[in-house]
Amino acid sequence: MSNKMIWFCLLLFSLAWFPITGCGGNRNRVEREGRPADELVLAVGGEPEAGFDPTTGWGQYGSPLFQSRLFRRDNNLTLVNDLATAYEISADGLTWTIRLRADVKFSDGMPLTAEDVAYTFATAAASGAVIDLNNMERVETKDAQTVEFRLKQPQSTFMNLLARIGIVPKHAHGSGYALRPLGSGPYKFVQWDKGQQLIVEANPLYHGQQPYFKRITFLFMSDDAALAAARAGQVDLLAVPAAFARLEIAGMRLLYLDSVDNRGIMFPFVPAGGQTKEGHPVGNDVTADLAIRRAINVAIDRQTIVEGVLDGFGSPAFSSSDGLPWWNPETVIRDADLEQARRILADAGWKDTNGDGILEKGALQARFTLLYPAADLTRKALALVVADQLQPLGVKIDVVGKSWDAIQTMMHSNAVLFGWGSHDPLEMYNLYSSKTRGTGWFNTGFYINTVVDGHMARALSATSEEEANRYWQKAQWDGQTGFSARGDAPWAWLVNLDHLYFVREGLSLGQQQIQPHGHGWPVTANITEWRRKE
Amino acid sequence: MPVSSAKTLLLSCRSFNRRQRTLMVVALTTVCLLALLCGGLLLGEEGLSTNLTNRNMPPSLSYPLGTDWLGRNMLARTVQGLSLSFAVGLAAASTSAFIALVLGLTAALGGKRLDAAITWLVDLFLAVPHLVLLILIAFIFGGGITGVITGVTLTHWPALTRLLRAEVLQLRSAEFVLVSRHLGRSRWWVATRHLLPHLKPQLLVGLILLFPHAILHEAAITFLGFGLSPHRPAIGVILSESMQYLSAGSWWLAFFPGLALLIMVRTFDVLGDNLRLLLDPHSAQE
Repeated sequence: MSNKMIWFCLLLFSLAWFPITGCGGNRNRVEREGRPADELVLAVGGEPEAGFDPTTGWGQYGSPLFQSRLFRRDNNLTLVNDLATAYEISADGLTWTIRLRADVKFSDGMPLTAEDVAYTFATAAASGAVIDLNNMERVETKDAQTVEFRLKQPQSTFMNLLARIGIVPKHAHGSGYALRPLGSGPYKFVQWDKGQQLIVEANPLYHGQQPYFKRITFLFMSDDAALAAARAGQVDLLAVPAAFARLEIAGMRLLYLDSVDNRGIMFPFVPAGGQTKEGHPVGNDVTADLAIRRAINVAIDRQTIVEGVLDGFGSPAFSSSDGLPWWNPETVIRDADLEQARRILADAGWKDTNGDGILEKGALQARFTLLYPAADLTRKALALVVADQLQPLGVKIDVVGKSWDAIQTMMHSNAVLFGWGSHDPLEMYNLYSSKTRGTGWFNTGFYINTVVDGHMARALSATSEEEANRYWQKAQWDGQTGFSARGDAPWAWLVNLDHLYFVREGLSLGQQQIQPHGHGWPVTANITEWRRKE
Repeated sequence: MPVSSAKTLLLSCRSFNRRQRTLMVVALTTVCLLALLCGGLLLGEEGLSTNLTNRNMPPSLSYPLGTDWLGRNMLARTVQGLSLSFAVGLAAASTSAFIALVLGLTAALGGKRLDAAITWLVDLFLAVPHLVLLILIAFIFGGGITGVITGVTLTHWPALTRLLRAEVLQLRSAEFVLVSRHLGRSRWWVATRHLLPHLKPQLLVGLILLFPHAILHEAAITFLGFGLSPHRPAIGVILSESMQYLSAGSWWLAFFPGLALLIMVRTFDVLGDNLRLLLDPHSAQE
């Protein structure tokens, strides 16, 4: 009996030690073992559960590899033509006419026509998965090179949808497509071993500039295994968590990219008592108090969090879109100011009457639950640190880790540590509009402000991106109100994560965009510009 | 270190007889375990809060077990974790022993059908891989501390049940029991006056020896992520968290909590073995 237990303990131990001994010996191995210069091995994660079908959600971030899109964002996030040559929007903003290049072929040699574009968007809208095409009434072909989209409401962000969905071939799209994708992108599919690797080869028929790398292998493995592979010289580009940032890998350098991959705390905006359609409770009396939300925003020491939790690889976040064209720089507030936070709370009538270190207002205690996804180390750390930072203020946060399934039933009545960050201002609309209250993961706090709604409606119906951006900025803070921390503060944004990579010496990744949510795959957005300098 | 100090003490007091030495070991291990429990209770939330200026500190004088990536004191967390394991072990082991006693007595005294049913149940539970069963039950009861305790409780009784049943069966055919029955004593009278006193040492030692099992299984399922909330300082949670930081070189995060768990389990083992020596009539007077 006792022997068995000792063996179990020893087993636990040997498990604990395995990763250390597993990667200790390879320090001095030479880099890039015998691969040709135009072959690349990446370990950046991002394996799609459902395969590589754009009509069900593939390729929203980063490069869709196998397909190409009507428009794409260049390295400065400006929209440029890809398959499209020109577009026209009718005066009422409801009809979008797109003209296509005539010379584009799929990798099987068939020409890409307006038929394929119409088919792709119709299929994506019908599948309803991930991509928000609800506003599209219909899509029609005018001739072989012209497509016409008809919208229900004017939507300036529709362009972003056109820049997100890869075009699939009508003639070769069926049930098995997601497993054997075919398109007009820079690379064509060779092999996918689910859970292990994806191999692609350059597409000789690609209409853009031929990529430098002729063959790319994407490895899908755990952080530890990927690190060991990189140390053995088998990987050219490796995405790593912040905990690995201080490591040294022979022949590789650390690259950190700015991102809008943010983390923040969503507060329930309405008092308790409501219910969602599914019967989950809505609202929280404590976080419904503007003073509490503002005080938390002011009291949090974001810079310390960046240095402490992220090891300095990040930046303080004050909105969901820091640094993007539609961001309002006035949303930046002075934080780490406990005095100011105390004043805000005292002015609103919060006092510690019974001396237990927690503020009260009448019968209400300044205490609420903060949920985080149990499997996410960074979010766990953020939640714990924020709770500790707010303790001296007299606001008590009970930190609870749950699975996403459990969080889904509790997220309308408790604060949640969410992460967002997109190259599409539509995300902002979804987070703060009264129309999306309780819709999926959007606006789970049931935030509502009619002035903000008005600004965002004008932003959507704007006919130019500049005009739209002006209204997006007003929605954040227009001098009177807004959804930023200066206004209603329905969120306390905490940090933008830097995305960390180890890059093999000599590999150039070009100029990288500000990275969106999701660490790993987005780095591939400009994969055709990557080079190896020997 | 309870075990090694107990051993050195053992060597230095050869002059004591076996019974005295055993008593001393029992006392020592009990004190160690109680101190651990009290330490966990007294510490409370102290030392568990984050301290970002003291992150990733290797073991030193002010932090004997180092600090983790949020600057939390690993000594405090380890003691908390062990005392939580202790509490879970206590709840689970005593409930398991109680279930085993009831089922064992029922099987031996309740007639053929009942006996067959309970033996079948024991076989069933012993046939399913323990950890799998544990995970299933913990999952059904919604995880968390209830899930863990229920899971550990409901999976640790079969071996002891089987032992107690065999013991009762043997006792039932013993002459003094037969005589007592023939003299007209009721089943209940025989069960409480003749059988229970004989089962007491089996039960007590069985209970103590269930402890390390329960603790290790608690650590195992929290390690696998089916147990407690992931920021709670349980040994299994601490060990699984530290996995992520081993590649970054923070070896002390896994080493010391693991060692502490090993020592605690071994201490229980020593306690159980020595109690058996004391209580077993064959060795009690040596």
